[in-house]
Amino acid sequence: MRAALGVLALAVGTSAAVLGIATLGLGLRRRDERLLRNGRRYVFVVLAAAVLAAGAMEWALLSHDFSIEYVADNNARATPTLFTITGLWAALEGSILLWALVLGGYLAFMARRFRDRATDPLVAWATLTGLVVALFFFVLMLGPANPFKTIADVPSDGAGPNPLLQNHPLMAFHPPILYLGYVGFTVPFSFAVAALVTGRFGEGWLADTRRATLVAWGFLTAGILLGAWWSYEVLGWGGYWAWDPVENASLLPWLTGTAFIHSVIVQERRGMLRVWNLSLVIATFCLTILGTFLTRSGVVDSVHSFTQSAIGPMLLGFLGIVAAVGIGLIAWRGDRLRAPGRIDSPVSRESAFLANNLLFAALAFVVLLGTVYPLLAEALQDRRLSVGEPYFDRMTTPIGIGLLFLMAAAPALPWRATTGEVLRRRLLLAAWMGAAAMAISVLLGARELAQVLTFGLAAFALAGIARQFAVGARAHGAARVVRSNPRLYGGLVVHVGVVLVAVAIASSSSYSTKREVRLREGESATVRGYTVTYLDGDTDRSGQKTTVSARVRLERGGDDLGVYAPAISTFPNSTQGIGTPSVRTGLREDLYLTLVSSPNQRGRITLGVAVNPLVLWLWLGGAVMAIGTLIALSPSLRAPLWRRRTRTIRDVRRQSEEEKEPVPV
Amino acid sequence: MKGRTIGAVAVCGVAIVAIVVLGIVLSKNVVYFRTVSEAVEERAGGGGDGRLRLAGEVVPGSVTETAHGVRFEVTDGQATAQVVHRGDPPELFKEGAPVVCEGRWRDGDADVFSSDRILIKHGSEYKPPDVDSGKKASGTKASP
Repeated sequence: MRAALGVLALAVGTSAAVLGIATLGLGLRRRDERLLRNGRRYVFVVLAAAVLAAGAMEWALLSHDFSIEYVADNNARATPTLFTITGLWAALEGSILLWALVLGGYLAFMARRFRDRATDPLVAWATLTGLVVALFFFVLMLGPANPFKTIADVPSDGAGPNPLLQNHPLMAFHPPILYLGYVGFTVPFSFAVAALVTGRFGEGWLADTRRATLVAWGFLTAGILLGAWWSYEVLGWGGYWAWDPVENASLLPWLTGTAFIHSVIVQERRGMLRVWNLSLVIATFCLTILGTFLTRSGVVDSVHSFTQSAIGPMLLGFLGIVAAVGIGLIAWRGDRLRAPGRIDSPVSRESAFLANNLLFAALAFVVLLGTVYPLLAEALQDRRLSVGEPYFDRMTTPIGIGLLFLMAAAPALPWRATTGEVLRRRLLLAAWMGAAAMAISVLLGARELAQVLTFGLAAFALAGIARQFAVGARAHGAARVVRSNPRLYGGLVVHVGVVLVAVAIASSSSYSTKREVRLREGESATVRGYTVTYLDGDTDRSGQKTTVSARVRLERGGDDLGVYAPAISTFPNSTQGIGTPSVRTGLREDLYLTLVSSPNQRGRITLGVAVNPLVLWLWLGGAVMAIGTLIALSPSLRAPLWRRRTRTIRDVRRQSEEEKEPVPV
Repeated sequence: MKGRTIGAVAVCGVAIVAIVVLGIVLSKNVVYFRTVSEAVEERAGGGGDGRLRLAGEVVPGSVTETAHGVRFEVTDGQATAQVVHRGDPPELFKEGAPVVCEGRWRDGDADVFSSDRILIKHGSEYKPPDVDSGKKASGTKASP
């Protein structure tokens, strides 16, 4: 029943996508406005079908319908309700369904937003491209990744979700938010393809997709940081980022996407970097497909395992088609893409944006190479290997510091060209603040160059941002400063978040202390001023989960900080124990306790004790970045740049005012 | 025009240097994955100097605690190697368990592998651990 409903919904979605593509294609060919208007309506059918299919899956999960293989594999009668609901994205088939659902949502928003321009070929081509992507995922679900596959031999109970996914409520948020980011980049991609096909690659398509891109970018940022948070709170190895292929898969489109939201500003303002922007959007979309391929085909475990199902080859084939179409379109339009403007001076805003883009592209290349190198080595030479974390750390640190420098200095640079006087006025004080921060961090004991530079550039950036807010407040009044140009000030707030994240990463990666202590009941150990005393152990069974926890008293300098209970949980469907770290979070440092091994025959436990400075600021930085994105999305008091076709006297006067001071983006 | 040419040459130069550095750093940080018999064979042939991951099963009865960790043997059914591990092994480390030890062969001591990280193999799809196809335990880390 539920399986039939689900398959029916998938069939409806597939047919609607095919009909939509056919109608729009025919309408575009015949220039038939009626067909174009009808064609876009299929988008809503696709969304309804995806909602219905996801609903059928949730119904099956909640009613424990183990005749569906996916439910039997990812649910059990004893699974708590929250993790029953999140079962939708606990494994491959369900997450493809979630992808289709999110894509349906984005496409419907796009169709609604451009309802007045349904007959515009640009919008029609973009809708058509979006429907092609949707069709691919629906076909994937009707074929090898069918979430509604039934089993003849219905088990009385299911296996339950992956233990790692039912140990923390963050699991309810991280995957959907990440997918909202991932899938959202389909919208700018569709418009980029449409711009290339129609030959309208001016600034129009950028303006049309500005909001969708920002929304996708904001969700992707939040999703990556939530993933790091989940890793820190659940995996229990003491860190938040391990350059794991799954993590890299989410970071790669973020890097190119971040490059894109910066370089569009240059195109809007100066009409330059057209080919580059189109390439970035297409690359970002390709990287989301590559990420889905890496995380969802089993290729990471072994190159040879991914051909066991047709999903891997299909995703790889789709990736190849998307890349080929993208490159082909750009090559076809190459001669007409030449930009009208050129860079006048190496010290200007546009040069800084160009440098920013080159660094982001280099960073993406470094991460991509480290991620796919083991796959290539295994596929081509049958050598199995992995790329160690030092590769990533050593290569990404200098690029990251370069980006931090640009983030500090570039917003103060004027467009086109500048003079020494302008630079002095805008940057000197902030640069001194940065130098002071470096001196202070050295006095406080920082020795590594990368850390000292990070602290200095962080102060430099913060001082520059404060100055820009002050200038804005003087021009528009303190209350109206943000609303005078939400895009600029939202962007600057995002930069504040980036500073917090950078400082947190620099501190926690070099100044953490980590030790393992073996304790019997009543024994104590001291790590970096914290005294831990093992009180007693406890075993608890709830649902499918068996939890062994150790109660540990924590003291510092005679102050009792309370009792903490790190634990290890085991589930019947896995041989792997899942640690539950117990973390005392503080503004200055976290004390991170893990139960490394539960009491042995002699009642002795091994306790991991780590002191991680400033980790909280990573999550706070993420929140600030999210707030900044929301500000950038808020409506402006004045017409955005691309609508200012005719310049009034007021515009000219305002512009000349702004030219004197930092120019709004 | 002259300025542009110089700029292009500079950009190409920087790119070439960057790619060379990238290649060197990458090759220095590659950790090969070997089954016990592959690793022993390579060691006998005089190779195996770099860091590697050794996959095998813990030989029952071979585990002894040392002052800094544990000493045990791993086997893949064909060859056996001595492993000295610094630090506590992870929770699921036990006799007969499939493990992946990361480290290097001890200098001068041909048969002892000194490990600083033990990964218990698991995939995201949660099949029982399988030494042969195991490559990387993603997610859970033993203490480095």
